[in-house]
Amino acid sequence: MRLGNPRRRGRSAPPATSLVCRWDLDKTYLRSEFTTLRQLLRTAFERPEQKVDVPGVAELIRALKAAAESRGQTALVYFVSASPPQIGKSIRAKLALDGVPYDGIVFKNQLEHLRRGKFRNLREHVGFKLVELLRGHLAAPADTQELCFGDDWESDSLIYSLYADILAGHLAAAPLTAILMRIRVDPLLVAEVIDLATRVSGRDAVERIFINLERRTPPATFRLFGPRVVPTFNYFQTAVVLAVMGRLRLEDVTRIGTVLVERSGYTARRLDNSLDDLVRRGYLTLPAAERLAAPLRATGLLSLPAPRTRWRRMLVRLGRWRPRRSKARPVTSPGALDYDAILARVQPAARHAAASGGTP
Amino acid sequence: MPTIAIDAMGGDHAPEDVVKGVAQVSLATDIECLLVGDERRIQEQLEGVSYNPEHIAILHCRDVIGMAEEPREAMRRRDASLLVGTRAVAEGRADALVTAGNTGACILACAKHFPLVRGIRRAALASVYPRHVEYAGQDRFALLLDVGATVRCEPEELVHFAVMGAGYARRISKVASPRVALLNMGSEENKGGETLVAAHRRLRALGGINFVGNVEGNDLVRGRADVIVCEGLVGNIALKLIEGVSEVFTDLASVAAERRLTWRFGLRLLARGIERLRELTDYAQYGGSPILGFERLCIKCHGRSTAQAVANAVKVAAKAVRDRVPAEIAAAVAAVG
Repeated sequence: MRLGNPRRRGRSAPPATSLVCRWDLDKTYLRSEFTTLRQLLRTAFERPEQKVDVPGVAELIRALKAAAESRGQTALVYFVSASPPQIGKSIRAKLALDGVPYDGIVFKNQLEHLRRGKFRNLREHVGFKLVELLRGHLAAPADTQELCFGDDWESDSLIYSLYADILAGHLAAAPLTAILMRIRVDPLLVAEVIDLATRVSGRDAVERIFINLERRTPPATFRLFGPRVVPTFNYFQTAVVLAVMGRLRLEDVTRIGTVLVERSGYTARRLDNSLDDLVRRGYLTLPAAERLAAPLRATGLLSLPAPRTRWRRMLVRLGRWRPRRSKARPVTSPGALDYDAILARVQPAARHAAASGGTP
Repeated sequence: MPTIAIDAMGGDHAPEDVVKGVAQVSLATDIECLLVGDERRIQEQLEGVSYNPEHIAILHCRDVIGMAEEPREAMRRRDASLLVGTRAVAEGRADALVTAGNTGACILACAKHFPLVRGIRRAALASVYPRHVEYAGQDRFALLLDVGATVRCEPEELVHFAVMGAGYARRISKVASPRVALLNMGSEENKGGETLVAAHRRLRALGGINFVGNVEGNDLVRGRADVIVCEGLVGNIALKLIEGVSEVFTDLASVAAERRLTWRFGLRLLARGIERLRELTDYAQYGGSPILGFERLCIKCHGRSTAQAVANAVKVAAKAVRDRVPAEIAAAVAAVG
C-alpha cells in the first residue's frame, strides 16, 4: 500500500539515512498529572505499573523502529525529559513494561540547580532541552533525519522549532542569543547553545514536529510555527501523517488504530472523525486519506460508508473541493520562523503555565 | 452515544457561537456531533477554539436560510444547512436535530421530512422555562406548549399537546405524574371561548394524564403545573414576556447602579442574588425548545443563542434521544386513543 500523492511519490519516499526520533516524556509519552503539589508528589512516588501512557504511543514508537528496519534503515529513539533523574529508575521500568525500545534517555538534574541556587532554572526548560537536543544531534550520524514529538503543555513547539532552525542554519548566533535571552534562559546555557549551534552542519534535518494536543490547545495557536509543526489530537492522527510521509506502513497505522479501539474505548467513528479532521486541517489530501481509509475500512477499523449514499457522497466531495484540499501543507518552511510573533504569543501562556505549576 | 445534527449556519451568531457550543460539547461529553454547514467556515471557527475532533463530523453544504426569510420560500433551497440537517436525521445519519435558525422554516422542514407520530395531527413547539418551586425536589423548569408551531388550534390538538407534554416531562424532567394545565383567562372551566371550553372538557374526561384544570397568566411562573398547554400565538407571547421581564430586570438594575452611589452600593450587596436570578431566567441555561409530535426529534434554540445555549441544547437533544422521548409520546398517544 503506497500513500501520498502519486505524482509526488518520488519526492515523498524517505531517504536511505537513519532516523532519529526525539521524544518528550511527560504528557507526550506519559499521562503525568502535575497541576497540584499533591499530584506532583504522587507522580514522583508512582510505581512503574501505576504510570499511564498516552494511548497508542508505545505502539507508535515500536512501529517507527520496525518500519525503518523493514526499509533497511535504523530508527533511534531518544527521550529528553525535564523530570529529575531521581524518577529515572521508575521511568525506565515503565518503558520496559511497555516493551518500548529506546536508545537513550536524558533527565534534568533539578537538584543541581537547587544546590546552585538557580531556582529559575527549575522551571525554565528551553535552555536545558536545546543543549541536550544539540548534543544528541552532534553525536548522531551525519546524514540522519529527525522527527520530534512533544505536547502542548509548555514550550515543546518553540524548543523543537528553534532546534530545527538551528540545524537548518536559519538562525545565526545574534538572533538566537536575543531569543534565548528574551525567554530568560540561563546565560551559561545560552553560551552552551551558541557553542553547540556553531558546530552543526546547517542541514535541514528535522522533518516534522508532532505536538500531542493533550490539553486541547486550539490548533490555530500553532500556525505561527509553520507547516513543520503538526498538532495532533491522538496518536492515530500522528500515525496517519507519518504513514503519508512514508515513515510508517499501513499495517502500523492499523495496529495503532486497533490498540486505540481495543484498549482505550475508541470507535470506528472516532477514528473516522480524526482522519477527516486531518484532511480539513490540510495535513492530508483527500485522495491520500481515501487511499488510506479503504483498507482500514476493509479491516473494520473505520466505518463503512452507506452504499445508498454513494452518489450523494460523490456530489458532496465535488461540492467541498477547494484548492486548499488539493494538496497537503508543504513540509518545510522557507526560512526561520517569526520568533518575535511567536514569543509575543507564547510567553504569556508560558508564564500562566508556570504559575499554575506546568509540567516539567 | 447518540448522534446529534447541528445546523451550524442557523442563528444570529452562526457559525461562531454554534461551533463554539459544539466544541464545548465535544470536550465534555461523548455525544457525536454532526455539524451541518459550510465546511471551510466551520473549520476556521473550530481551529480557533479547544475541541475534540473525535466527536465532531462535518456535513458540508453551501446554502443558509436567513432568519427573516419567508419559510415557504426557503423550503426550495435544498442545499440549505437546515434542510440538509433535517434530511440527515430523516435518513438515520443522526438521531436528532438542533438549530437556532429560522423557526418557521425549521417547523416546515421537520413537517416535510419527519413523519408525525401516529394519531397526532399537528406538531407543537414546546418551551422549557423557569418557574417558582413549591416543594423541595420539584423541577425548577416547567414546559409550555405550543409556543409558535400552530398559531390557532382545535380542541383535539390541545389535547394532543397535553399528552405529548406529559410524555416529555415524564422522560426529561423525571416527573412520574406531571400536572397538566390549560392556560386560560380564568380558572373556571367555562372560561375562554368554545375551543378552550371543549379542550377543558376533553382533558377532564381523559384518563392517563394528571389534568389540574385551567391556570391563568400569573400561574405560569408559579409551580402549579408541570406542563401548560395553549395555542401557539398565546404561548409565544407568554414566553417572550417571561424572557423580556428577566432582561428588563437586569437592565434596570444596571441603570439604577449608574444613577446613585447608594443604589450602586445596595445593588453590590444584592449582586449575588441578582446573578442567581439572572441565571435562573437565562434561556441559555435550558438550551432550546423541543418540537414534539414527530417520530424524530428537533430542538429549536433561540435565534440569539450563545455557545452555552447551543451546548445545552445539544445535551438536551442527546438526553431526549437516550430517553426515547418520541417513543414515549407515541405510547402515550396510543394509550389515550
